[in-house]
Amino acid sequence: MIEVKSLAKTYGKKQNVFTALDDVSFTIPDGASVAIVGKSGSGKSTLMHAMSGLDRPQTGEVIIDGEDILQLKAKEVDRFRATKMSFIFQSFFVQANETCYDNVSLPLEIAGVPKKERRAKVQKALEAVELADKIKSKARNLSGGQKQRLAIARAIVNEPTILFADEPTGNLDSSTGEIIEDLLFDYNKKNGTTLIVVTHDPDLAKKCDMQLFIKDGKIALATEHHEKRPTVKKIPVGGRRVQA
Amino acid sequence: MKRRDIIRRAGRSLRQAKARTLLTSLAIAVGAFTLTLSIAAGEGSRQYADKLVGSNVNPRALFIVKDNALFDGGPGQSGLREYDPDVATNQGGVALKQLTQADIDKLTARDDIEDVQPIYQLTIDYLTIEGSDKKFVSEVARYDSSIRNESAAGDLPPLGTDLDTQDVVMPESFAEALVKAGVATSVQDVLGKKVTLTVAKPASQPTDEQLQQALASGSAAALQRLTRGETKEVTFTVSAITKQSSTALMAGTAMQLSSEQAKSIADYTTQGTSQYQKYTSATALAKEGKEPEAVKQALSDAGYPAQTAKDLQNLLFTIVNILQGIVAGFGVLALFASVFGIINTQYISVLERTQQIGLMKALGMRSRDVAKLFRYEAAWIGFLGGAIGAGLAWAIGTLLNPWVTEQLSLGEGNAILVFQPLPIAALILALVVIAVVAGFFPARKAAKLDPIEALRTE
Repeated sequence: MIEVKSLAKTYGKKQNVFTALDDVSFTIPDGASVAIVGKSGSGKSTLMHAMSGLDRPQTGEVIIDGEDILQLKAKEVDRFRATKMSFIFQSFFVQANETCYDNVSLPLEIAGVPKKERRAKVQKALEAVELADKIKSKARNLSGGQKQRLAIARAIVNEPTILFADEPTGNLDSSTGEIIEDLLFDYNKKNGTTLIVVTHDPDLAKKCDMQLFIKDGKIALATEHHEKRPTVKKIPVGGRRVQA
Repeated sequence: MKRRDIIRRAGRSLRQAKARTLLTSLAIAVGAFTLTLSIAAGEGSRQYADKLVGSNVNPRALFIVKDNALFDGGPGQSGLREYDPDVATNQGGVALKQLTQADIDKLTARDDIEDVQPIYQLTIDYLTIEGSDKKFVSEVARYDSSIRNESAAGDLPPLGTDLDTQDVVMPESFAEALVKAGVATSVQDVLGKKVTLTVAKPASQPTDEQLQQALASGSAAALQRLTRGETKEVTFTVSAITKQSSTALMAGTAMQLSSEQAKSIADYTTQGTSQYQKYTSATALAKEGKEPEAVKQALSDAGYPAQTAKDLQNLLFTIVNILQGIVAGFGVLALFASVFGIINTQYISVLERTQQIGLMKALGMRSRDVAKLFRYEAAWIGFLGGAIGAGLAWAIGTLLNPWVTEQLSLGEGNAILVFQPLPIAALILALVVIAVVAGFFPARKAAKLDPIEALRTE
């Protein structure tokens, strides 16, 4: 379970102060898929960074499995990210000069997984994204969709409990994007990994169990929406009720 | 992250920027090349000097003086001082305490040294060679039986044995000069020829009585004879001609004769002067089983400063060290320049790989490990540069060695560049350390990079 409690983050000083996050609170149950939806500059990326411990908000708590990661030391936050979280980015960030194997093996190396165990894990992750035959290819030789699949393999290789995806389909055409979405949601359902998608695409957001609409650093709307159960249900957010 | 994985990733990053890596390491390679050559030249020179001293000087040999100024290179005592009959005043007012016959006797009586031989100041008027009336001058010295001489013709006595009293040995260059002068037909021809040395006794102060007698005789010749001093002729046979050996330290520019003859000539030429039986220095051998260094100390304590064969070696080594230091200085300068090359390259590398660094940090890589990654990259560059430079120096040095040996006429089997794995390994290690130090700031920049900034797209 991820509990976010009255998170606030401002940039700049005095007259130039900019509020990126303003008293944000919500709770995400384990294994849920959540969309953080908002326009550019709405604070959705800042929220993701705060939740993953990359950014340090001025106030608030991010409690993951009972531990406030904002109180942890840098070393422990790094450990947390290395073992429990992973990321998928809009621009993939795969290392073009490296082979698929080396790309996927990076999180394992960072987490200190012994070399013997890495091979099987990398193989399994690449199989999951149907890139097993490209294991020795350089990442630069892959198409955009393949690169993002490689990024997914890299994200799931260490079996994280939370998977952050920042505009995962933003750089892809719609059909390729769908393949990526399917991969992510399949993984989310099969493995019970919490999936947090940051997007401005309402169609992608709809596919998630839960949507958090961010505007000007505040949660404007929180909905729980299941495809199977297409009723929109109001859920409590940050201590106040938000109308759906 | 495991160290091995960091090192592997560092190596891979460098392979991906081959040209840049190679060029940066070439800068270090220049320094490594120079330093390797300087190390090799130093080692080669030391080995050569060792060989020189070893084949020229008996390791037990001691060089004894009375005045320490000779060793210190100091000017001795100068200024106004009390007259001491044992002090010789050289030109320029430099005074040196000298060994007297009593000192020599005292030294001979010691039980830790043997074969005490004063260095005689031998001066001759001229010498003549059998079969010619041409007159020649040359230096004359006592034959040193403690050094190995090579014979070009004739037989030399075995090491440690003195020449026969009627024999004389001359260097090959003398024989060649005689051939040129038409005195002999060949170097071989000089062998066995008689050499006559003419030595002069200094004029003694004639007594009043002698002067009166000479005046009374009324002849100018009688008066001249009185003041000119007498001369004497000593004849020897050339028993051997010494070869100019490539490892011979003394260039052998003297006519050499036995100790006994040397003493008699020295005594004759100084008789009646203040220099009679006075010597600036003497040689001796530490007795078998005695440590020359300990004997040297004992002699110094007894008022006879001495130097051992090792001191002579050290003197040569000092010269070698200075020369080596100069060459090494250039190498260090080149390295200094290459340090900035590494810093520059690594800074660019950090900028280029901002996203990669951001990603690694987002994936939970610790800042320390990011810094390590870049430091190891620098270390690889240092290693590569060191290996290239040292390898090139080794290869080129080995190829050039025979030519250098020939050019400097060092003699067969001597090499001026001696490459040893251990100092070169140490050099490469030092370069790795220097490269890591150079990579410190870029590595810190990488470690401090904010992953959010780094991952901000477009």
